[in-house]
Amino acid sequence: MTPVFKLHNIAKIYGKREVLHIDQLTIPGRKIYAILGPNGSGKTTLMRVMALLTRNDTGTVDVLGENIRWGKEQLLKLRRQMAMVTQTAFMFEGTVYTNVAYGLKVRGAPESEIRNTVENCLELMGMSAFITADARNLSGGERQKVAIARALAIRPRVLFLDEPTANIDPQSAVEIEHHIQFINREMGTTIILVTHNLFQARRLADEVYFLWDGRMVEQGNAQNIFDHPQDERTRSFLSGETVF
Amino acid sequence: MEIIIQGIKEGLQLIFSMDPKIIHVTLVSLQVSLTALLIAACLGIPIGAALALKDIPGRRLFLNLTYTFMGLPPVLAGLIVYLFLTTRGPFGQFQLLFTPTAMICAQILLGFPIICGLTARAVMSQRQEVYDTAVTLGASRRQAAWAIIRESRMGIIAALTTALGRLVAEVGAVMLVGGNIEGSTRVLTTSIVLETRMGEDSRAIGIGIVLLLISFSIIMIINLLEKRSFKNDAGIQIT
Repeated sequence: MTPVFKLHNIAKIYGKREVLHIDQLTIPGRKIYAILGPNGSGKTTLMRVMALLTRNDTGTVDVLGENIRWGKEQLLKLRRQMAMVTQTAFMFEGTVYTNVAYGLKVRGAPESEIRNTVENCLELMGMSAFITADARNLSGGERQKVAIARALAIRPRVLFLDEPTANIDPQSAVEIEHHIQFINREMGTTIILVTHNLFQARRLADEVYFLWDGRMVEQGNAQNIFDHPQDERTRSFLSGETVF
Repeated sequence: MEIIIQGIKEGLQLIFSMDPKIIHVTLVSLQVSLTALLIAACLGIPIGAALALKDIPGRRLFLNLTYTFMGLPPVLAGLIVYLFLTTRGPFGQFQLLFTPTAMICAQILLGFPIICGLTARAVMSQRQEVYDTAVTLGASRRQAAWAIIRESRMGIIAALTTALGRLVAEVGAVMLVGGNIEGSTRVLTTSIVLETRMGEDSRAIGIGIVLLLISFSIIMIINLLEKRSFKNDAGIQIT
């Protein structure tokens, strides 16, 4: 099976600082993959490179079997198979419906299909009652659920989640974690979860990639890494000894 | 103080009596300023947005020039248009000097930098996440750019209202290229100057009140049209 992501000798440099350097990374897909690491370790940069939002300075990136040449048409085609939910979940001006419908509208989907999909996705996330609500007046938890519904509406093959429960209450966080598992299990969507929440990574992830100072220091089965970390830095991070 | 109160009373009487001369200068003012605003907006909004979103060569220089011209003295704008339209100027053959068209040209010169510069600022102030959200939901670059412009519309409306305020209240440029000809190029602001010079204080105050009412009404109409954009504009709550 073609891997969803294949990165080779990737580097990203800001000014004189190399913030990311990955020799080799292959993500087969269909599972929940957690990118872990302390603040400033390059997690978000790595995710942005994979999501084709940030261009790598060296190396090659293959996404969904295609080598990335950063051409307009190729980017649009591949980006349309992925979606992202960020920590703050930006909402466009307008209602929840307008927001969830956005991805379908830019694809030129017919209005009847848009309405059905929006209603289904909001129902799945338990947000049907908010369909006409102003998206910018939602609470943090509601906003994240709408952002996930908005991502689901376009049926992505890959869903990136950047600290999706960082700013919300524990109850909403638990609900969102259930939704993430459901989306992966029932819809077969590959989930790339960027987090520094160890407990969440442990609960959700099948595979873990551990970053330290822009470099991949450990990767593999989540259970193995959490129970028997091989690298000293991973051990230090998992035991909570790392001083940020 | 009595003179002012008396002037306001007489001014209001002039308005309510529907003085034909005041109605005429009001209509000319509206025609000139709204036409200029429309043309300046048609040019300024897309150029401002493009300057903010595209890495065009000379972009920084053009933006700095635009910001400089935002404070262009109206008389200077009038002089520039005058030099182009005078019989010895490059467009003298069209005989546009001392016509409403010349006044519109001068006001476009004043309105364009304001609309272009403030639109660029409004678009540039949008956060990266607007673009990121749009493209990760499958928007093309053009669609994502449009999403950013939509998100900037409060700033763009502010640009339009600022420009309109300047155009309606402007006197130097229209006086220079319009000539303040009764029944043709006389507008509210030039009328105020003329009536004051003639000692007709009450007429000047009456026309001033009309000018204020027009500015207020137009801005209210624009705000009503964009009511949805202002729905969340509750401001900062200081407790």
